[in-house]
Amino acid sequence: MELIVYGIINSITLSLVSLGFTLVYSISRVPNFAHGALYITSGYLTWTFLDKFAGFPYPLAILAGIGITSIVGAMIYQFILVRIRGMEISEIIATYAIGLAILEGLRWGGLRGMTFTLPAFFTGSVNILGASVDYQRLIIVGAGLLTFALLYLFTRYTKIGLAFRGIAQDERAAMMLGINSDMTAVVSLAIGSALAGFAAILLLPLGNIVVETGYNVLIFAIAVCVIGGLGSWGGVIVASFIIGFAQILTEAFISAHYQMVVALLAIIITLLVKPSGIFGKQKELEERV
Amino acid sequence: MRKLMLAIIVLGAMGLLLPGLSYTAEPPIVIGAPLSTAFLYGWDAERGIKLAADEINAAGGVKVGAVKRPFKIEVIDTRDLEPGVPVSEALLGLEKLILEKKADFIIGGPVRSEAALAAMDLLNRYKKVSIITTGVLTPAYHKKVEGNYSKYKYCFRNTSHVGVMMGEFVTLLEDMRKNYGFKTAAILVQDVEHARKGGEAMQKALTDKGWTVIAPKIYPTGTTDYSVGLSDAGKRGAQILFLWMDMPESTILLKQWADMKLKSIPVGFVNAAEQPGFMKASGGKGESLIVNLVNGGNAPAKITPWTMKFVDAYKKKWGLEPEGYGTSSSYMAVYQLKDAIEKAGSTDPDKVITALENGDIMGVYGRMRFDKKTHQVIPSMDPKEGAVTGIIQWQKGKRVQIFPPKTAEGKVVLPPWMKK
Repeated sequence: MELIVYGIINSITLSLVSLGFTLVYSISRVPNFAHGALYITSGYLTWTFLDKFAGFPYPLAILAGIGITSIVGAMIYQFILVRIRGMEISEIIATYAIGLAILEGLRWGGLRGMTFTLPAFFTGSVNILGASVDYQRLIIVGAGLLTFALLYLFTRYTKIGLAFRGIAQDERAAMMLGINSDMTAVVSLAIGSALAGFAAILLLPLGNIVVETGYNVLIFAIAVCVIGGLGSWGGVIVASFIIGFAQILTEAFISAHYQMVVALLAIIITLLVKPSGIFGKQKELEERV
Repeated sequence: MRKLMLAIIVLGAMGLLLPGLSYTAEPPIVIGAPLSTAFLYGWDAERGIKLAADEINAAGGVKVGAVKRPFKIEVIDTRDLEPGVPVSEALLGLEKLILEKKADFIIGGPVRSEAALAAMDLLNRYKKVSIITTGVLTPAYHKKVEGNYSKYKYCFRNTSHVGVMMGEFVTLLEDMRKNYGFKTAAILVQDVEHARKGGEAMQKALTDKGWTVIAPKIYPTGTTDYSVGLSDAGKRGAQILFLWMDMPESTILLKQWADMKLKSIPVGFVNAAEQPGFMKASGGKGESLIVNLVNGGNAPAKITPWTMKFVDAYKKKWGLEPEGYGTSSSYMAVYQLKDAIEKAGSTDPDKVITALENGDIMGVYGRMRFDKKTHQVIPSMDPKEGAVTGIIQWQKGKRVQIFPPKTAEGKVVLPPWMKK
């Protein structure tokens, strides 16, 4: 039973890390390779507010960290990506370069060593079905489920959310209906960045804030999206559960050493069987021909 | 004209009489420091080297024959600890130090073992004496010197290596077995060469001593959840969690261990837990963790009369305690080099090598001597006989030296939930 508990936690952690990346791609078709950098930026900003301003309330620091990260994401689109939109290779290079600049800039600016961390919301642990789980991970599970639910409601019952879906389904048709494509993309980058920041606030208290985590987060986000299907939110959740459980079961029955191998194998198998991912759209045969 | 002549005579006399002014006229001895400066083992080494050079220069410099020359430090970022950076990057950095910065001697790195081993040929080509002071825990380094002395005689190492560290760990764990009745250990290591080898060696060593050892769990770099491994260790009754990791995510492991209140004590080589700020970073969850800092003096301790002087000087200059592996050894290497140059009366590499081989000074972490065949610092459990390690335990938020016994300032304390 404990493997199920740990598997669920691991899976929701992965999906939280990947949600922002897939949201941006599904709406603006921009593969945001600065996703990991925005994740670390949010954590570092929150840490800065807490560390440099004595007595700064933690919830306010979190809001400020996520808020500024969200603005940075919107600015990335507004000032850089808007000029190369639709040129996919250029988008990849530009976002990757921005991510590198942010992460290495943070390192150059002093984010070095392993002494930067965020406090856990609650300390202690509880036994669930024979598995010892700390409170922070329970919060991650709760916050993850809540995020999925809120995103579902947002995209179905709000004007902006419906515009998102419209653009995602058919950009030209949506534009003919008066939906501003660029503005939607700006908002999607802002929300995607906020989601990266939100994941950081939840996950970074488990360890510490280091530049390398930014690169790892990007790798996991891409892995989940490739398996689930780029731009598919349902795919993100399913893929997270596949990788999450595969990792836990590998550690329990084979060796922790092969955790990453299993994730990479899942990517290769997915690419061989369905290159567009489990829920990704694939060109029909006649269209390809 | 007379006034001018008088001024020249007076200035000339000042130059001869005042040592502080006389050395500035001499060309500096350039120490090149190839270090991965974005990482602890790089920046703390840089700080150690600069502190020693500043002290020596303030005292007049290095006496080379009849003149005194200051040290000048040239640091280059080799980036060799960064993931994915090839060894060639470190070699290019080293070559740049030698050719462009005109380094007379090399102190510090390269930090990663693979890069340091590859750099040995470069040191031979340019005949540059080098003292490795940080990273590079592989025994292959000094074995290579022994295997081909004439080629690699330029290479020295004043820090410990895995072979010595294993012996220290086993002695410590055997002491804990006697005191607390421990008999089961779980091994959790990172998926990198030195950690895997360390885990395997520890499994063999403990098994030979009669311990029940749970086979090593090897975690890929970047692992963020250790629940299954820790839970398994707890169920199988491990009282020792032997760790060998230099990835930042090892903090997650320690936090999970504390949250789960596992009836075991973590012991090992844990890079994330070396720095003075670790306790704050772990939210207090690193309490009771035992860490090997490789050399004494990397945390406050009274090993020799020089240890606390060094600790205080470091605090004064850099605003915090010596941070971890690489600090005290990098500091000492500059003094060892000074001693050798002064005894040689020259900066000629062959003369300095002979002087280093015969050097014998009481340093920050014990008696500093190099083995003449391997150029490896001679280790000991007694600071009067050789270089001692610094194994510390986090106790009440501070790093307390607990091993070797002759330098211990406290005893091993079990986590509160392990006490009967």
